[in-house]
Amino acid sequence: MRGRTALVIGLTVVIAVVIQTTLFGRLRVVTPDLVMLIGILLALTRVRTEAVLAVAFLSGLIMDLLGASLIGLRAVVYTTVAYIAIRTKERAELGRVTIALWAGLLTLLGVVLILLIGTLFGQAALVGEGAVSVMILVPLANVAVAALLAPTFVRLVDRDRTALRYP
Amino acid sequence: MLTSKQSDRALPTFISLLVIGVLLMTFDVRLEGGGVVGVLRSGTQAIVSPMQRIAAYAVNPIANALDSLSNVASLREQNAALSAQLAEAQAALVAVQDDKAKLTLLEQIYDLETDGAELGQTVANVIGSVDAALIIDKGTRNGVLTGQPVIDTNGYVIGTVKSASDGSATILPITASRDGLTVLVGSQTGTLVTRPFSSDLGLEMDLDVFDAREPVLVGDRVLTSAASTDYPAGLPVGEVIEDASPEATSLTTTVRPFVDPEALRFVVVLAWPPDPVSAATDDTIPEEATETTIADEATTTTTTPEDDG
Repeated sequence: MRGRTALVIGLTVVIAVVIQTTLFGRLRVVTPDLVMLIGILLALTRVRTEAVLAVAFLSGLIMDLLGASLIGLRAVVYTTVAYIAIRTKERAELGRVTIALWAGLLTLLGVVLILLIGTLFGQAALVGEGAVSVMILVPLANVAVAALLAPTFVRLVDRDRTALRYP
Repeated sequence: MLTSKQSDRALPTFISLLVIGVLLMTFDVRLEGGGVVGVLRSGTQAIVSPMQRIAAYAVNPIANALDSLSNVASLREQNAALSAQLAEAQAALVAVQDDKAKLTLLEQIYDLETDGAELGQTVANVIGSVDAALIIDKGTRNGVLTGQPVIDTNGYVIGTVKSASDGSATILPITASRDGLTVLVGSQTGTLVTRPFSSDLGLEMDLDVFDAREPVLVGDRVLTSAASTDYPAGLPVGEVIEDASPEATSLTTTVRPFVDPEALRFVVVLAWPPDPVSAATDDTIPEEATETTIADEATTTTTTPEDDG
């Protein structure tokens, strides 16, 4: 049980990182932040909160290590977003649409934090390119992806076919 | 256990992870990307890059198709503009070939020896990106080392290698670098700096000339300076897009780089600076032919001094 859940989460993170840095690294218009979204959606599962935070931190750290920005920047932001997701998930679990909007709002918060902390640490040129369009497009794309994949992801991680089923 | 009832240890875990994250950022700033941080980057790239390379084979056609769809509206205008540019470039090429022939003739007449110190080049595919940084499919195994300059296939400056693993490397474009680039505009030396929070449409940088003697005009080419420690001299960087006159002894203007890093598919990594020892004894060192495979089965053969390895 434990091993299988860890395996599913690990594989999902690796796939998200690879897709994020290849496909979505190339596209200019459709640019969700899949790795951040995993941290958000994990909050909806029955995975322990510490594990959710650890996964968010590690996946952010991997993105930092693959890019050229400060190591720890995304790790801190993804962890913060995951923590807020854990604390607010009850308000989102009303339906597919509310979950998607909740994920979009948290993504917006994450994008703003990346820009803010990046600027404080002198990374504005690196993370601030096209800041306005990033603040609009990334949350919108994550809303769409969350609407499509959130229930499936939660069912897969929890091995519960009834999870996130709404009338 | 990974799954169980929600515990209330979220806050202490969160704070601990935040502290670790801030410490990591501080270490990275203090070490300037070197030391343990550099090793961590290389190690992660070495693990992930094979998967990225495989994904790139599947993803590139999709990305190209989607890019084409998003650009289809402006294709006709682009086509006309490119046809005009091609005609100009062909005319310039003929002129250059004439000059080259004259130069060769003069060298023969005066029995001059050419320098012949060609820089080793590694052609690489762009397989991904994170923020503004590009990930390429060549690494230390192909002679790509941290700090080496990167240009596009036209010879325009892109940036430098930020980190390199065995089979991949990360490129930091000049448009995303914190460090200023020492450049030459006309006969004046200036510093090209990035403009934070630039828009996607206007890829622009600021040029500061602190000992300005004459104005700079729209269309003036900006080249890398011999004073730069990161690039060989004379590489084209961009062009001035705003007239500016000296105020007191300095001037500031706007430069548009020739290269848009997001549109790149191939890059060329230069083996520069050349090893001082090997450069001094260049004639005695046998050159090694390196076969570099480019995507879609195209193959380029480049010549690299053996020591650049």
